[in-house]
Amino acid sequence: MIKLQNVSKSFLFGEEEVKAVDNISLTIKEKEFIGILGSSGSGKSTLMHIIGLLEQPTSGKVILEGKDVSKLSDAELSKIRNKTVGFVFQSFNLINRFTVLENILLPTKYAKDSLDFDPIKRSEDLLKRFGIFERRNFFPNKISGGQQQRVAIARSLIMQPKIILADEPTGNLDSKTGDEIIDILKNLNKEFGVTMIIVTHEKDIAAQTKRQIYIKDGKIVDKYL
Amino acid sequence: MKVQNGWTHLLKAALEDFRRNKVRTALTSLGIMIGVLSVVLLIALGLGLKNYLKQQFESLGANLIIIFPGNISSSEEGGGLANFGVGFAGGATFDEKDLNSLSRISEAEYTVPMFMKSMVIETNGQRKLGYIIGTNEESFKILNLQLLTGEFFKKGDITASSKNAVLGFSLADGLFDKPEDALGRTIRAGDQRLKVIGVVKKKGDREQDNSAVIPYTTTFGKLNPDKSFFTIYLGTTNEDEVDIIKKRAKEVLLKRYEENDFTVTEQTEILSTVNQIFNIVNGVLIAIGSISLIVGGIGIMNIMYATVVERTKEIGIRRAVGATENDILRQFLTESVLLSLFGGILGLLLATGIVAIVRIFFPASINVFAVLISLIVSSAIGIFFGVFPARRAAKLPPIEAIRYE
Repeated sequence: MIKLQNVSKSFLFGEEEVKAVDNISLTIKEKEFIGILGSSGSGKSTLMHIIGLLEQPTSGKVILEGKDVSKLSDAELSKIRNKTVGFVFQSFNLINRFTVLENILLPTKYAKDSLDFDPIKRSEDLLKRFGIFERRNFFPNKISGGQQQRVAIARSLIMQPKIILADEPTGNLDSKTGDEIIDILKNLNKEFGVTMIIVTHEKDIAAQTKRQIYIKDGKIVDKYL
Repeated sequence: MKVQNGWTHLLKAALEDFRRNKVRTALTSLGIMIGVLSVVLLIALGLGLKNYLKQQFESLGANLIIIFPGNISSSEEGGGLANFGVGFAGGATFDEKDLNSLSRISEAEYTVPMFMKSMVIETNGQRKLGYIIGTNEESFKILNLQLLTGEFFKKGDITASSKNAVLGFSLADGLFDKPEDALGRTIRAGDQRLKVIGVVKKKGDREQDNSAVIPYTTTFGKLNPDKSFFTIYLGTTNEDEVDIIKKRAKEVLLKRYEENDFTVTEQTEILSTVNQIFNIVNGVLIAIGSISLIVGGIGIMNIMYATVVERTKEIGIRRAVGATENDILRQFLTESVLLSLFGGILGLLLATGIVAIVRIFFPASINVFAVLISLIVSSAIGIFFGVFPARRAAKLPPIEAIRYE
């Protein structure tokens, strides 16, 4: 369902051009559970942003569900981000002036088509599932990191996306909480068949996924060094 | 399930933000508030002035032709304003001869001369600054005066130069215990000793209420050594004859004076000249008010730029979960328009309060136009000054925004 063809992304640092992603071709099938493993600065985050349509590649093609996304307008890209893809970030990226419930509902405010579910009920179901229902009216900075990441996962799930992109989801958490988050993501893949892509630099996290891709200097390599 | 109403979300988020930053919101709206306040007040006072003048003119009967020295003819290009001040000073000096020739115009039913002088009027022990008006018996009809007590002087009083006076309500009230007490008493004005034969009801016109109306012939002497008139009125009950009378009056006066020495006009023309002047004055004042609106708008723009920077991360998050550039643009525009409207409504309310107080002294009024213009202008300012910061927010690259700390 996701196909990358010779995708490159370069940035200018002053005069110098740096290739964050260098000619990567990659196919990810529906319902896969993939770990993208690389050290800091390897280009794995940029790759994730390209897959998640947050960034456009400098060259190459991204084909999502058979559509070449480079030709899509801002409105069409936004719609895909809204409906098809859910993001989970290392630093949670919740809006602190909104409550937990309001944060989870945020994507529904940008839905351009009618919703086929009751957003409040669905949010509450997700909150209950993740054991943070009683925190629904708290502001994000008043709850723990593990709880914040659960809220972020609930937010990524509210629009029932086909793909979830998790960028270092355990990076800001202690190992026990981190494991709990990985378990949640694992279960989502298993139970609902959500295509799960986890970007990480930790081998033992990547080891829990079904397929690993190693990135070094913007290229796919055979083995993680 | 229905689509979530995007607007309620935007409004709720904006209002929530204002609640959180009360001081900042208040200070930012202040500029717009002051601007709207001053513009609305100026419109209200301008309108009041117009109303006041209209009342003054309406207190004279309809179909009145006014003849006075000098030229303020508004039909003459540019002359209307320039000659306004000198009009009363220069030009012809009307006397009894002119009065007689004008009274021969058959279409005019009334011919009323007017002499007016401000002076101290005395009785035994009481003094009051008032006006002596020298005129004839027909003036009571055209000035719409109504007797409180006594009677008006008659034609015979003119020929006899009688020392009979009809007092205005405030003058009689000031000189005697009760206005009605004035009847039959004697008052002094300059070298004249006058007998009060009538007191008129309060008219609301300060000059009229403070005057002693006497036969014009009686003023010929120390009061009016030139035996001149300030104005001559011609009146008719037939509206269709106004133009003919004006034409005849001009013909009569041209035998004796140059064209620019006198003005023959009617009250509607004077009103339109006065209106012209007030329109210019109003325009200048509104321009000054607009400057504070613009300054207020710049204040909003400034705060909105700061808000965009402050919310960079939030913008990135919203973009990641599916907000389009337009959604972000709308979010910030909503905020700036609400901020501006908030100031506008406050200014409007404050202006309404002030006008309510001013009305005690002066017929100022707020009309629908003032309300509409203040709401439209403040929304427009919100859009105009909000669109630049909002565009900046919308154009932020999502990934850079989301990484912003």
